Amino acid sequence: MIALVRYTLSTVLLSQRYLPPVLVFLAALWIFTGADDNGPLPPDYAVGTAAVFICGIWLTVVTVNAADPVQRSITVVNAGGSGRVLAASVWVSGMWCAAIAVVGLLYPLTVGRHPIGPAVLVLGALAELTSACTGMALGLLCSRLVARRTGYSVLGALAAVLLFVLVPGVPPVHPVFQLLAGTRPPTSILLPVAAFCLVSVVLLAASALLTRFVAQRRD
Amino acid sequence: MRLSGIGKRYGSGPWVLSDVELRLSDGDVLAVVGGNGAGKSTLLRLLVGLTRPTVGEVRERPTAVGYVPDRFPPHDRMSARHYLTHMGRIRGLQTNQAQNRADDLLDRLALVGGPDTALRKLSRGNAQKVALAQALLVAPRLLVLDEPWSGLDVSAHQVLGEIIGEVREGGGTVVFTDHRKAVAAAYATRVYRISGGRLAEEPGGIGELAGVELRRIESGAVDLAGLPGVIDVHERDDVIVVTVADKHCDAVLGAALAGGWSVHAVRRTAVRA
Repeated sequence: MIALVRYTLSTVLLSQRYLPPVLVFLAALWIFTGADDNGPLPPDYAVGTAAVFICGIWLTVVTVNAADPVQRSITVVNAGGSGRVLAASVWVSGMWCAAIAVVGLLYPLTVGRHPIGPAVLVLGALAELTSACTGMALGLLCSRLVARRTGYSVLGALAAVLLFVLVPGVPPVHPVFQLLAGTRPPTSILLPVAAFCLVSVVLLAASALLTRFVAQRRD
Repeated sequence: MRLSGIGKRYGSGPWVLSDVELRLSDGDVLAVVGGNGAGKSTLLRLLVGLTRPTVGEVRERPTAVGYVPDRFPPHDRMSARHYLTHMGRIRGLQTNQAQNRADDLLDRLALVGGPDTALRKLSRGNAQKVALAQALLVAPRLLVLDEPWSGLDVSAHQVLGEIIGEVREGGGTVVFTDHRKAVAAAYATRVYRISGGRLAEEPGGIGELAGVELRRIESGAVDLAGLPGVIDVHERDDVIVVTVADKHCDAVLGAALAGGWSVHAVRRTAVRA
């Protein structure tokens, strides 16, 4: 599996298609973080989690689509199954999302003088993880394995972003934004955010299974 | 390996393959001929496990499978050596083993530009050589080649013929497709045609093979590789091994003896179980 992960990461790095989502993420974080330099951190984390969510979808699509379908078929034969290749793609997507999530977690600490404590850092980490897992789950469903045409992929990703970010009550991303943007103290929202984080992990697992099922049926 | 009652359709489309029965034994070299869209590539994808049959089952597929598709879309910037090293590691080789094997194969296939050439700079034929090399990084028990001769230069044709012979001699099975029956008949022990989604054996394969081991005792000018029915000629230890269609074996032996060779051994290579 390590060999597959290294190969997948190499293909993404050499394609340079990771650059647009990473640059958009950094720009969004730089522009929208620090509205209140001395206020609480959770509203800044809301900005970071939104950026992680959108760029998580993008990075996952980039990772899965990095290999040409024929090239992928060779890798599947050499790896002994499509499940391993998909697992490597999920792993590499997770590495990208983890990297931007860490930046999203640490960057607000460098802007202004926020009250910092263990609870608020754990809260930020759980929120970023929720966005990353949900973004990866949707990115898999928008990848070439499920959406064979680029147009469908783009439309699917846009619809997913609008649904999960803007429609109230759709778990797990929107409720986390609301909790972070509210005025409740971090310790009181830690438990519900953890619950939504768990939901996002389940979503990711379900999405990976669905993607594998659809890809195998199409082949 | 066995395919029983195989049928394949994509979604609600027409049946691409139907009622396919096929048994592959160690040492088989099987050619599949047919027109464009006849289902040759689908059959190969079923053999290597890239697609599942709609009905029927594939049994006893070997674990070491090499697959060469009909086209090899190269990565943008990865070099041939790096690509093969990655594939070797995925196959379970150590990094240095994979690199050495990659270098050996690319040297043998005479990759123009050398192993450090970026894949995107390779011509179609040279990209096809890299595709062939990745299938041979670990000795395959089943080697599946989709129109392997297309795009390869003449010298690579000969190397490919040698490779097919080596896999067969090692007890592996080779399946390849081609549009041209003449090419199929020159290398395959059995030839099948796909038409209307059905697979049927055709006459014209080279059938049973014999391995003739020769030692030179006098200088002569006989061209062993050019004799009728000769599939492969290569050197092993201190003898020359000639793989020949069984029906041409006596004629080859006669020509070799007359040409100053001594017959060291004649072996029937089991190509059908």
